[in-house]
Amino acid sequence: MKELENIAPELSKIKKENPFRVPDNYFEDFSARLQMKLDTEKVEAPKKQSKVIQILKPALTMAAGFALLFTLAYWPLKLITPGQQANNSNIEIDINEMLFANMVEGIDQNSFFALLDEPNNPAQLSDEDMAVIVNSNSSEYDIYSETVK
Amino acid sequence: MENDDLVLIADLKNEKTRELAFQTLVKKYQERLYWHIRKIVMDHDDADDILQNTFIKIWRSIDKFREESSLYTWLYRIATNESLTFINSNKRRSLVPMNDTSEFLMNNLESDEYFDGDEIQLRLQEAILKLPEKQRIVFNLKYFEEMKYEEMSQILETSVGALKASFHHAAKKVEEYLKKID
Repeated sequence: MKELENIAPELSKIKKENPFRVPDNYFEDFSARLQMKLDTEKVEAPKKQSKVIQILKPALTMAAGFALLFTLAYWPLKLITPGQQANNSNIEIDINEMLFANMVEGIDQNSFFALLDEPNNPAQLSDEDMAVIVNSNSSEYDIYSETVK
Repeated sequence: MENDDLVLIADLKNEKTRELAFQTLVKKYQERLYWHIRKIVMDHDDADDILQNTFIKIWRSIDKFREESSLYTWLYRIATNESLTFINSNKRRSLVPMNDTSEFLMNNLESDEYFDGDEIQLRLQEAILKLPEKQRIVFNLKYFEEMKYEEMSQILETSVGALKASFHHAAKKVEEYLKKID
């Protein structure tokens, strides 16, 4: 340590000793305490994930990310334009109803009753269809006056 | 690498002999690693925790040891990293704001019931604690453990030249601090 004497003469004069100590029997007991900790760690260690999950994890994470992005983009849009969304999903139903209503409005009352009275009439109208036909061709007053007769 | 260590490594990598070999490893290196850790963190209880964590890490990663360095330097490297991680995480968690690491470690030293040094030893430790982290480790390894620069180079992954310069600066700073308080 000649090097030290040249660089730091004061320091080299200090007696080199270890000022720290350890509790009695510390090193004798250390191995046993370590073993106990290792045993606990083994018990507490989380179970390894299956290989399939490990392999699919990146793809699943990406899919979850896309789903989240879609939800975040779709719901605000749906909230902003609720009517537009509803119309789009009901287009086909609306067209069928319009065709049926046009056809019903085109039939006059006499032709309709004649059609109903015909013995070989293949048309089987439900109560609901009947109500639509009556509503389309008669005013509320007509319906009321017919029922009080 | 020592022949004993080569046999030890082979036994550690063999599942049948692993447990017994690990006990031998602990017995062989516990004291040296403890004193190395203790001089970094100062407090006995902290050193004890870090030493246990160091051996747990060694147990878990023994298969990853590629034998590019000696077993001894690999163990020292893990112990050094564990100690530095401990200091940094404690600094972050501390409720009392600390100016630097030396303040935290000085508190550790002053509250440690297992410090028996006299006034001169306390001043010397104080001077060492004023050094930057890397210089402090280099100084401790050279001054107290008289470790060769080549071995230190493997542990700290720093060139021998840089380590020599680091020790030189550290010794100068300690000398100045000791002169100042005289």
